[in-house]
Amino acid sequence: MNRPLLVRPRLSRPVRVLLFRKELRQFLRSRTALLTGLLLPALIMVIAPVVQLIAASASPTQRGAVPSGVPGMAGLDHLSDLFLYFTFPLFFVLGGLMTPSLAATHTVISERERRSIELLVALPVSVRDILTAKMAANLLVAGVTLLPLFVVDSIAVLLLTDAGPLYLAAALLLVLSSLAASIGISLLLALLARDFRTANNLNGFFVVPAMIMTGLCVTLVPGLWRFVVLSVLMLALGGLAYLIAVRWLTFERYLT
Amino acid sequence: MGAALAFQSVTKRFRNGRVALNDVSWSIQKGAHACLLGPNGAGKSTSVRILEGALRPTAGSAELLGEPVDGPGYAAARLRTGVVPQGPGMYADLTAGEYLRIAAELYGVSPARAIATFGLRDHARTRMAELSGGFQRRVTLAAAFVAEPELLVLDEPTVGLDPKAAHEVHQYLREVMVGRTVLLCTHNLAEAEALCDEVVILQAGQVIVQGRLEDLRRGARSRLRLTAAQGPQALVACLDGIGPARVEGRSVLLEVANPEAEAPRLLRRLLAAGVDVFECTPVQATLEDVFLEAVR
Repeated sequence: MNRPLLVRPRLSRPVRVLLFRKELRQFLRSRTALLTGLLLPALIMVIAPVVQLIAASASPTQRGAVPSGVPGMAGLDHLSDLFLYFTFPLFFVLGGLMTPSLAATHTVISERERRSIELLVALPVSVRDILTAKMAANLLVAGVTLLPLFVVDSIAVLLLTDAGPLYLAAALLLVLSSLAASIGISLLLALLARDFRTANNLNGFFVVPAMIMTGLCVTLVPGLWRFVVLSVLMLALGGLAYLIAVRWLTFERYLT
Repeated sequence: MGAALAFQSVTKRFRNGRVALNDVSWSIQKGAHACLLGPNGAGKSTSVRILEGALRPTAGSAELLGEPVDGPGYAAARLRTGVVPQGPGMYADLTAGEYLRIAAELYGVSPARAIATFGLRDHARTRMAELSGGFQRRVTLAAAFVAEPELLVLDEPTVGLDPKAAHEVHQYLREVMVGRTVLLCTHNLAEAEALCDEVVILQAGQVIVQGRLEDLRRGARSRLRLTAAQGPQALVACLDGIGPARVEGRSVLLEVANPEAEAPRLLRRLLAAGVDVFECTPVQATLEDVFLEAVR
């Protein structure tokens, strides 16, 4: 047993591309998956932040009651700044993490729950190939969904606040890092959850540490650095989830 | 002729501590039609999973067409193997044709011949979940057969099917099994007996019987089927002390060392006792007898 059983280098690339296309085709045909994949991100990434910005720009005082002595709050005395630096990171992390995880619930858990996974395992593919294709499809769907929504956010930010391209670059970094982190979390979810109910519960559970980290970061790290620190932490969290999934749970768990 | 499938001292222990296979060794020669039998939890599905490459043995080695399942040649051997999974769920968002095209692309062939062989031409555009049970099973057979593999691994191919659909699947199997090595994993002993000539019986993760069905039948205890006008209970009462007897319908199955030698003496004794025996036939052991005796 010297070589890892589930890795087949000679076949892997075309197999994964083929499976990836299958996943995309199925995702686009599933109304439930599409609705879940679009509605929640739209709510988190666009509706909530833009409403906040409009409210801030329409506010007559334009000032919030900001506690002093908190490093992350320094200089955030304008209401729109408070939203940009305090609540927006929460939305970006939530959108980046939740969208692929919800997609994973549909593509991975439904396949196991309905036993159609048996059809795939009977073919000359490995469980690693199957899960890699599913994760890649989820990531693509999430990316294609989130990035246009981020563009809408960016336009709102440029029109309604004083923030510039540097802010948007930092925010984009956070969205992309959260998306990357979601791979590890989705994989963990795929290996742990055996049905939709467990998957939904775990989805909520996995978001908690990310939200705590985000809360601490926006409170303690000043300025745009919070986006950078938070991005690094998100990548670390995703990496940890991936390691736990691959090393501790192993791909075999998906079938047992 | 080499072994098409071989398990050498294979142990499979899951993370929860459950041992599915415990130091198991068995093999199937190329060209053989073998069945893998055993009660629930015996380790049949784990064995199939190991051959599929989905599970890794904890210890020992398993070979598929002469290639260790963890070796570099496994991928090529897997492409020469077709697997029919046990009672799979069907995709609601893929048609039979789309699924078969995916299977065919993975094997690097065209699905046309398999679609024609299994009579799926008219159903290729139907979503898999909308097909009848019989056609769903045909799709899985076609996917396994798409590359005309040397080796077929069939995991409960007729489970959950009505008798007509099961009969249809058996007919297809008889056609496609010719000239191929087959491992049939099943609970259906009649199916195994009809399709296979070799048997491997697992129980609690260990091999308890392996051999040619013919040899196992010959080695099983010989029996006489006796039927009397007075009914089976009267027969059992008269047969007390002769050998183990079991009532089966209106008859009694009596285990004897040599049916031909013992039948005349036995008949004389029963008739003398006033039991009107009108049937006395030597019974060849069935696979069910072999199985029940093995797992007793």
